[in-house]
Amino acid sequence: MKLRVKFSKTGVLKYIGHLDTMRYFQKAFRRTDIRVKYSAGFSPHMIMSFAQALGVGVESLGEYFDVEVEDDQEIAGMVDKLNAQMAEGFKVIDIVKIDDKATNAMASVAASRYEIDFYKTENPVTPALFEEFRSAGPIEYTKKVKTGEITFNIKDFVFELEYRDKGFYCVVDSSSAGNLKPKFLVEVLLKLAGKDIEQYPFHILRIDLLKRDSEGRFVSLDHE
Amino acid sequence: MAVEKPERYIGHEFNSVVKDKDSVDVRFVMCFPDVYEIGMSHLGIAILYDMFNSFADTWCERVYSPWPDLDKIMREKKIPLFALESQEPIKNFDFLGITIQYEMVYTNILQILDLSEIPLLSWERTWDDPIVIGGGPCTSNPEPLADFFDIFYIGEGETQYRVLLDMYKESRKNGDSREEFLHKASKIPGLYVPSMLDVEYKEDGTVSRFVPKYDDVPVKVYKELVKDLDDTYYPEKPVVPFIKVTQERVVLEIMRGCIRGCRFCQAGQIYRPVRERSVEYLLDKAVKLLDNTGQEEITLSSLSSSDYSHLDELLSKLIEKCNNKKVNIALPSLRIDQFSLDVMNKIQDVKKSSLTFAPEAGSQRMRDIINKGLTEEDIVNGATLAFKGGWTRVKLYFMLGLPFETDEDIKGIADLSNLVCATFYDTVPKEQRVNGHVQVVTSTSFFVPKPFTPFQWAQMDDAKTFIDKAEKTKHFIIGELNQKHIKYNWHEADVSVLEGVFARGDRKLSKVLLNAYSKGCIFDAWTEFYDNDKWLKAFEEEGVEFSFYTTRKREDDEIFPWDFIECGVTKEHFLREWHKAQKGEVTLNCKDRCAGCGMAKFECGICVR
Repeated sequence: MKLRVKFSKTGVLKYIGHLDTMRYFQKAFRRTDIRVKYSAGFSPHMIMSFAQALGVGVESLGEYFDVEVEDDQEIAGMVDKLNAQMAEGFKVIDIVKIDDKATNAMASVAASRYEIDFYKTENPVTPALFEEFRSAGPIEYTKKVKTGEITFNIKDFVFELEYRDKGFYCVVDSSSAGNLKPKFLVEVLLKLAGKDIEQYPFHILRIDLLKRDSEGRFVSLDHE
Repeated sequence: MAVEKPERYIGHEFNSVVKDKDSVDVRFVMCFPDVYEIGMSHLGIAILYDMFNSFADTWCERVYSPWPDLDKIMREKKIPLFALESQEPIKNFDFLGITIQYEMVYTNILQILDLSEIPLLSWERTWDDPIVIGGGPCTSNPEPLADFFDIFYIGEGETQYRVLLDMYKESRKNGDSREEFLHKASKIPGLYVPSMLDVEYKEDGTVSRFVPKYDDVPVKVYKELVKDLDDTYYPEKPVVPFIKVTQERVVLEIMRGCIRGCRFCQAGQIYRPVRERSVEYLLDKAVKLLDNTGQEEITLSSLSSSDYSHLDELLSKLIEKCNNKKVNIALPSLRIDQFSLDVMNKIQDVKKSSLTFAPEAGSQRMRDIINKGLTEEDIVNGATLAFKGGWTRVKLYFMLGLPFETDEDIKGIADLSNLVCATFYDTVPKEQRVNGHVQVVTSTSFFVPKPFTPFQWAQMDDAKTFIDKAEKTKHFIIGELNQKHIKYNWHEADVSVLEGVFARGDRKLSKVLLNAYSKGCIFDAWTEFYDNDKWLKAFEEEGVEFSFYTTRKREDDEIFPWDFIECGVTKEHFLREWHKAQKGEVTLNCKDRCAGCGMAKFECGICVR
């Protein structure tokens, strides 16, 4: 049986790296009676695949992994069993059965919804700034990669912007083809507003990972 | 990220204990003064953490040495060192317990105190500071650290802490001064309060006598030990770290102590007598530990697992329990024979990792001097079986600088390495050789004489002699027929010498430690941070000579700085063993014949069989 598990990772656990998060969940399963399937071969490992690596230092309310289990247990029971094995800051929110042939979590990811919170200052972005961003021509952004630098139009990777009191919400591209770090968007917006990013410290919270449904709308990764 | 691996400092690990601080009377913080990954792999702290937290009135937390990157930030921003669970400053705790596992962490102890804003010198502390208490193997000679600790706990930690905590609560309720409390604590068996014991020296710098500060302070401190290991604390829910630590597995301590009186080995002496845990006890713990942690590997821990009486039964039952959970069983410190190879075939994956032999010395003459009951025949037989079983890589461990060593003994290291290679070619027909050849890795470390061993009288080599001996070893190996297949590694000499100074050191070394720390020495156990020049300068500035502690000849009747401690094994026994070593005479192990070492008075373990 193939399952998709949604969990949150909050508080200081934002410092737990991606590989350690994977190892953490493997051990958590081993503390329950849920029997995860192992791969064959010389060094068998649990068949488990994470949707996307979350950056160190970012909290999230919507992370996902797919896992194959041997037995046919009740979903609600599994959520409780796993939550009994969580360190404070990790919580299993939901488990859904997925079709054996369903696209895996990693390939399904299209976008992320983030909340940006300027926790120390007044909000440097305004609804007017979003208008300016939308009506402007291409906004080039250059980032350093291993092979040098690449330049792209950041507007191609931003799908939604919504003002809120302490900052803003955004939906940005998180697909394997064009993942945009929300930090870059903040840089661009503050530059557009003529403000110094150093003066406006902010927290990033991932609210959810999204896929597109059959009509192209963004829905949660655990949407059935 | 300004700090590498922030996970080292955030706590929150599964099974870490969080209590309501208003509901407890005693806040204890347990420290391993090295980096998190090392400290979290230590069984002793796991046992004591579990024990303290089983007391309803006590909350025990953990702290490890901040890595130099965080150390720098904490100093710049004046952030006080904090405990992992509550993230509260160490200074607010009632007790700071520090386990002292090796000499090269001594400056890290000063770092811990300093970053905690606790005065380094015990007599400058007030009730605003925690009681700083040390434990672990290095406290068998705590003297170089005497100025920095309020109390040392000598021996196994399971026995007297409850008494100490009750006394502490009583003292605080009565409004005792710190000095009054420490005076009372010095009367608890196993507890040593350095400020209650003065040391007088002779003109030549050796100890003349120990003088208690008050008449009722004991002049001898007796080591504590657990008589029945089936009836004591052992964790069932150890903390599960987020990051990969050195011992990423469940540790099952099957017994304490060792029957083989190797004369260089301190652990083999100070953990006497051998006390085994029952198979039932161990299986029960193993299942609970695996269920409660989700670890994928379990390791059987002891000084010499092959000597555990019921190893066969324990392993077959453990394999039964582990197989359906996909758990690996690790078996360090096994003698290589048919039984252990069969076991390894059963429990470990198909990949044949390398096998390790620790002959410790190259010649039979030297193995008799050190009382290592392993013969050339044992090694050749073990290697033959292993090669037949498909192993092609062998590691050999030796020591250089053992007492009465000659060039012949050094050449023995090369000869034995060669013999193991030759055994491979004699055993495995050409067409069956997996990689075509054998790989032998020969490593030497430099011998450091330790207190409470028969070699506590031994003269240690200086750094130059060590290096010369390593060069000789290399030269002899190059001269061997199979030298192409022998890889030779040797350990740092400077660090070994420093370790030797502190191992048999006295209170005069505390000023050297302070000086070296003030020069920036921390993490001395880490080659990338160890700075020998700073140490040399610190010794020079304080007018302390290495040679007094290392190369000096010690007379049979010398009073050692650690002689106020009674470890159970008598000094007469050690001296007898020292004299037998000089004559190359061996002593049988405890199972074959009692050597009358003095432990029988405790009436437990192998002594009562």
